[in-house]
Amino acid sequence: MTQLVADNETQGLSGPKRSVSIGVRVRNSRASGVLLVVLILCAWELSARTGFVQSTNWPPFSTVMATLVVDVTDGELLPLILSTLWRLARGYGIGFAIGIPLGFAIALLRPVRLVVRPTIELLRPIPIPAIIPPLIFLLGLGDSLKLSSIAFATLFPVVLNTIAGVMAVEPIYDQVAKTFGVSRWTALRRVVFPAALPFVLAGLRTALGLAVVVTVVAEMIVGQDGVGYYLVSMQFAMRAADMYAAIVLLTLIAYLLNRAFILAEGRIIRWTRLREASGDAS
Amino acid sequence: MSVTALHQVSPAPQGARLSIDKIGKVFTGPSGGSVKAIDGVTLNVEPGEFLAIVGPSGCGKSTLLQVIAGLMSPSSGAVRLGAQDVTGEPAHMVYLFQQYGKSLLPWMSVAENVMFSFRHRIVMTRSAARARCDEYLAMVGLLDFADHYPWQLSGGMQQRVAIARALAAEPKVLLMDEPFSSVDALTRLDLHALILDLWTAKRFTAVLVTHDVDEAIFLADRVAVLTHRPASISEVIDTNLPRPRLSIETRESPNFLALRHRLLAHLLARPGGAAHDAR
Ligand SMILES: Nc1ncnc2c1ncn2[C@@H]1O[C@H](COP(=O)(O)OP(=O)(O)OP(=O)(O)O)[C@@H](O)[C@H]1O
Ligand SMILES: [Mg+2]
Repeated sequence: MTQLVADNETQGLSGPKRSVSIGVRVRNSRASGVLLVVLILCAWELSARTGFVQSTNWPPFSTVMATLVVDVTDGELLPLILSTLWRLARGYGIGFAIGIPLGFAIALLRPVRLVVRPTIELLRPIPIPAIIPPLIFLLGLGDSLKLSSIAFATLFPVVLNTIAGVMAVEPIYDQVAKTFGVSRWTALRRVVFPAALPFVLAGLRTALGLAVVVTVVAEMIVGQDGVGYYLVSMQFAMRAADMYAAIVLLTLIAYLLNRAFILAEGRIIRWTRLREASGDAS
Repeated sequence: MSVTALHQVSPAPQGARLSIDKIGKVFTGPSGGSVKAIDGVTLNVEPGEFLAIVGPSGCGKSTLLQVIAGLMSPSSGAVRLGAQDVTGEPAHMVYLFQQYGKSLLPWMSVAENVMFSFRHRIVMTRSAARARCDEYLAMVGLLDFADHYPWQLSGGMQQRVAIARALAAEPKVLLMDEPFSSVDALTRLDLHALILDLWTAKRFTAVLVTHDVDEAIFLADRVAVLTHRPASISEVIDTNLPRPRLSIETRESPNFLALRHRLLAHLLARPGGAAHDAR
């Protein structure tokens, strides 16, 4: 009995302490993660400067960054960045404008599910860039090709996550809507949609990463403009510093987009985060 | 049934008689087997009456109540409110769920949850809706928590929100499925008094499903006792206790204790019951 009490006490004490130490460890690991990045960049810089790697195609990191600043400020890159972002926005927009309603329809309407599901399962494993060459036959080399590829890449994670989200809605929420005599449409809008939203947003986030990849790949394969096209042209022109500058730029764009998304997501479904923090599991 | 007329308090009871007519429910399992959950239950509930249904765990109480609520269709028999058959989504009836914590929508504030129960059926201005919401929140003593989220409240407070939400729909019939079973004993007594106050003030018809004999006697005009699964009615007892009922005194009155004795003996004295060991 006393043993039990003692155990409970030590648990009660070690509980918060443990979480604090985990917190510290996480912060440390993040610091060491940043440290590793810095180290790698230093190694890059030194390997190029000391002549450890001797190649005209291996400029030091500082030169790449300087080139990036020049390329952006002299206006060469800016229109390309904008065209890439605009293309991404349209393709992604088409993808999720189709994906979310389609996901809801598949999850909620049995006939739609029976008809569409097998096709989705069949198309899903295709590596997205692989659809670009056949699409060239169908759509030519214009923007519609790129937009279709981006939309296609966006579609799958959005549809699949939306289905999972709708399926995971607590059955009791349906009954709540029913008992208060709420119409089917209102229940969809005010109950099913918000309940599924965390899943939908997770799908949209995955899709955003994929859409960036496909945008760049499409621009690389059939480009007239955009950062992906610029990247390949610089490689052909043997302008290594500009090429690396484009890569750094793309990394930055992808990173910022993801950050922005997470920020927006946290605002939209603030209640899930707060509820977890309040320790309510139900 | 004439008993109910004797102790009416304030306003006249609203609405129509609820008739439950030879309800049966059979569940068919995925592997073809079937479970008979309810077997021919017939009950009439008068307007403004408080009826309790008690029965052993798993006997089919929730199923019966969901059929009454129109949330589930019966395999046989019919439910009528007045002259109308109850099918699908009946107006005028509201179901108060056993899992109150889960039945509140976590992305809506307390006030939004309460307004959800009527805003989509009734055309009204924003401020009128808010006023009605506040009226019911005040009744359950949670006006100060209108802008909190349900998961920021204690279990007892969540159940009071669920009660306010159910009543804000202003139903003629309130169907309650063990609504007090998962709060602590003191909170439960509090909620009993609260639900009686609200029932007295609004005069809806109340049907309460519970396995707590004390709760059933304390709240109800009549107590219907169900058998083990498949549920059928084994007895209906008039409580005949005076109203208003008082949290402590009523529970200590000889009549209350006699009813309690009778009901417990009844529930325990059957094959599988523990009555014989207790002797
Ligand atoms: N959806 C369902 N499908 C199949 N069988 C069901 C379903 N719902 C309930 N049952 C069966 O019906 C019987 C009665 O269940 P019900 O939930 O109505 O009991 P209960 O009296 O409310 O129990 P408790 O006191 O635990 O709340 C159970 O044996 C259960 O297995
Ligand atoms: Mg039950």
